[in-house]
Amino acid sequence: MLEPVNISLESLNLVTLMPMLIAIGGGLLILCIDLFKDNIHKSFYVALTVLILLIDLMVTMGLNFGVEEKGFFQVLLIDGIAVLSQAIILVASMLFIPLALTSKRFHEYSYPEFFALFMFMIAGFQFMVSSDNLILIFIGLETASLSLYTLIAMHNRSNSFEAAVKYFTMGALAAGFFTMGSAILYGVSGSLELNQIATAISDRLNEPGIMILLLGGAGLLLTAFAFKLSLFPFHTWAPDVYEGASAPLAGYMSVVPKVAAFVVSMRIFEMFINLQIEWVQSMIIFLSVITMTLANLMALVQKDVKRMLAYSSISHAGFVMVAIALATDKSNTGVFLYYTLFMFTNLGAFTMLWVSRHKDRVHHERFDHPYEKFSGMIKIMPMGAVIMALFMLSLAGVPPFSIFWGKIYLMSATVDAGYLWLAVVMGLNSAIAAYYYLKLIVYMFLKEPTDAVKEEIVYYNVSKPLMVVLGFAVFVTVFSIFMVNPLIDYISTMLQASSFGI
Amino acid sequence: MDTILSILIFFPAIAGFVGFGITKGSAKIYGIAVATIELILALLLWMQFDTSNAGMQFTEKVALIADFGISYNVGVDGISLFIVVMAALITLLGIILLRPDTKNMKNMIISLLFLEMTMVGVFLTLDAIIFYLFWELSLVPMLYIVGAWGGKDRVYAAVKFFLYTFAGSLVMLVGLLAMAYLYHQANGVWSFSILDWYTLPLTEDQQFWLFLAFFAGFAIKVPMFPFHTWLPWAHGQAPTIGSVILAAVLLKMGTYGFVRFSLPILPDASVTFIPLIMALSLIMVIYTAMIAFAQKDMKQVIAYSSVSHMGIIMLGVFAMNAEGLGGSVFLMLSHGIVSGALFMLVGVIYERTGTKLMSEFGGLAAVMPIYATVFGLMLMASVGLPLTIGFVGEFLVLLGFYKISAIGTILAGSTIIIGSVYMLALFKKSFFGPVRHEKNLALKDLDKRELTALIPLVLIVVWLGVYPKPILGPIDNSAKHILTQMEAKAINPATKETIILSKKEAE
Repeated sequence: MLEPVNISLESLNLVTLMPMLIAIGGGLLILCIDLFKDNIHKSFYVALTVLILLIDLMVTMGLNFGVEEKGFFQVLLIDGIAVLSQAIILVASMLFIPLALTSKRFHEYSYPEFFALFMFMIAGFQFMVSSDNLILIFIGLETASLSLYTLIAMHNRSNSFEAAVKYFTMGALAAGFFTMGSAILYGVSGSLELNQIATAISDRLNEPGIMILLLGGAGLLLTAFAFKLSLFPFHTWAPDVYEGASAPLAGYMSVVPKVAAFVVSMRIFEMFINLQIEWVQSMIIFLSVITMTLANLMALVQKDVKRMLAYSSISHAGFVMVAIALATDKSNTGVFLYYTLFMFTNLGAFTMLWVSRHKDRVHHERFDHPYEKFSGMIKIMPMGAVIMALFMLSLAGVPPFSIFWGKIYLMSATVDAGYLWLAVVMGLNSAIAAYYYLKLIVYMFLKEPTDAVKEEIVYYNVSKPLMVVLGFAVFVTVFSIFMVNPLIDYISTMLQASSFGI
Repeated sequence: MDTILSILIFFPAIAGFVGFGITKGSAKIYGIAVATIELILALLLWMQFDTSNAGMQFTEKVALIADFGISYNVGVDGISLFIVVMAALITLLGIILLRPDTKNMKNMIISLLFLEMTMVGVFLTLDAIIFYLFWELSLVPMLYIVGAWGGKDRVYAAVKFFLYTFAGSLVMLVGLLAMAYLYHQANGVWSFSILDWYTLPLTEDQQFWLFLAFFAGFAIKVPMFPFHTWLPWAHGQAPTIGSVILAAVLLKMGTYGFVRFSLPILPDASVTFIPLIMALSLIMVIYTAMIAFAQKDMKQVIAYSSVSHMGIIMLGVFAMNAEGLGGSVFLMLSHGIVSGALFMLVGVIYERTGTKLMSEFGGLAAVMPIYATVFGLMLMASVGLPLTIGFVGEFLVLLGFYKISAIGTILAGSTIIIGSVYMLALFKKSFFGPVRHEKNLALKDLDKRELTALIPLVLIVVWLGVYPKPILGPIDNSAKHILTQMEAKAINPATKETIILSKKEAE
């Protein structure tokens, strides 16, 4: 006979669960509405989703946060980075969802389930970033990933199915690595809470043989996150998946899942690094250098803009991964600064691809967005070409556009930590990357339009909501110089109220 | 007029934005109007400039990213003042020289106006990150100008130009970040202000590495041997206006960077690196002069002669005395005027005949007397004939550099000989002798548009060749100021020795 357990409601601190509950409730609400009324236009669901996400964002921002702010049987942890990353995730989602309102009809958006799944995915990410319990992190990760696989497949083309299955298989493998890694850490420490694991490891750090266990634990976890962050050599899924997914979803995948995975990586790996386990640091630096260099080299030879952007996202992830290895306050600030700025630019770039997507007119038998499609765009669509060029320059790190500020902040953090050579490697990588971004600019500005391009309007899908999103992305990209200071202020305040790494 | 520098920087850019609304037909006259206003503003700045004050004037400072020490910070001294005036002048004359039937004239004018903002910005800003910002941003319009209006291989040339400079400047960026970090270590606050950096003491080791990092950015831009290979491509493919601005202003960013950053911030390393810089510069001077002699294309001759002259400027910068430094700043101006004019002249003949090969011409002096006269004068100025603008700077640089190395000076002096060889050979092949092609007999001499663009340059060449004092005075003041700063900041007695020596003699 088990003893009855008494838990007071206050100790559950249910308010910490509110953001996820709102997202899940929103998803359920959408499903219920669908039960009662058929054939509602997608604009209704888009509007509803944005509104629910807005409430979610406001609630999240209103949460009490701090190192001790735990809830729901102590598994939820609402510290600074939990709130911060949830805010980033929600803002990115709110920018993403209006992209459904294209002037042309696309399969997936006619299903309300798409929006419901989207909400569940957000809830998953929110769980993932606001916990230091490995099991809850895992559940969040899997909830989000499974929803994401389905969202990709809903694009309803053969290469979307391929992408979804590929992503699913790789994701399953990563999940396996994650559980095994967690199991080893549990074996070492007898706990699944990261802060207790840290205490236990630091107590046992001098025992003989412990390093082999830690190597197993950290190595397996690193592998799992290398899959999620598309780090070399676990990046191979990314270009195919990006290509198969719809353009906005690909843009979304290059930001939100990565932010979530970076937050968890911060919590896990900076713990190891702060425990003075140096090979974790070397391993991450090694991975990030190889990732950014190889992805850049691969991007050089791509023939399709979307695949190029996929490799560029891999390379950007490698660039930011350096910050995890440094594990300083400044580098952590840099991660969030970089991704906040990257979010707008990259989502903008993918939106431009989305705008030009045409279901029937094919420019290339294999690719949706070959470079040739954009040749001479300045003559046909001057505004579109200028906007796309702005995003490319920003991605290349040309000042004063947004990503430059993230870049110098991270490079500065690297210099501060004493890794001058690494900063030079990062700089040279940006120079390599400039080539493939320039290639698109060269096509758009310096080449004559091909006959196939001349006949058609490149902005095929454009609609007012898309233009609003684009306008917003352009605004942030161009005027980011005035936003960097408040952003750094806010991010560093939030980071100070966070518990990780110890 | 405390905000005149900001107006100077942003007026062309705002005018560029407004330019989107101008009709195609009126684009050129709009460009001329804006560039004229900009030139007038620059001249106004010169008039208000206090020539006795060697430090920064008209400074403005607005914090942009306070936590990270980045602020919008501008100021002007005797060195930057004249480069800015020259940039405004060359832009105006370049726009005047544009053929009225240039395709996409509106895009050209807008790009030029943005380019003007970045050029003026580079020379006026006192914050390293904002400097870097303008520095990188200048690549974008230039990329477009070369790539859209250039010759056959324009895309390759444009991308090569962009990537070379971009790669070098990213290494420089690491240097700038390291510099800010060292400043933070010493003072506890972040600052990217160059003026703050002037006061920061650095060990010789730190200076050594920082110098190399800065060198990567500046040397590619100058372009120093062996990083010069992008320049002949860019010049070969660029349209006339692109070559003019590239040679006259963009290359000066590199040497200006050495003057503004490397020397005062890293005095000891600058002295340590004199032998290397001397070797590279001498190779530049002699080797590229010889290559220039071997060229068949007029524009390539001038492009290589540009590189050769940039070598002289580099020698002057690292002469570590007022004559050398002042002379090289003056040479930056005169080279800007002269090479700008020469590229314009080549553009003129190219527009008429569609070729730049010297073998196609001959006897042009008889057909186009005014053109030949102007060309001859600019050519003499380029060689460094006394009483032209080219002589003053070259003489001062050689005089200054003599104190560092007599042999080096003699070798560098040979540029005057080799220079006259290839320039006169060019002149002989193209302008004298029989007219090689019948159709060349019908060539028209300079028309009103071309004369408007060239006459001011001719006047300046003669005026400053005869009486350089109004410009040389303020430059000399600021050059001495920089040397004083260097001497105060140097930690190695040997460095102080090198600098003091020349200062005493200057007094």
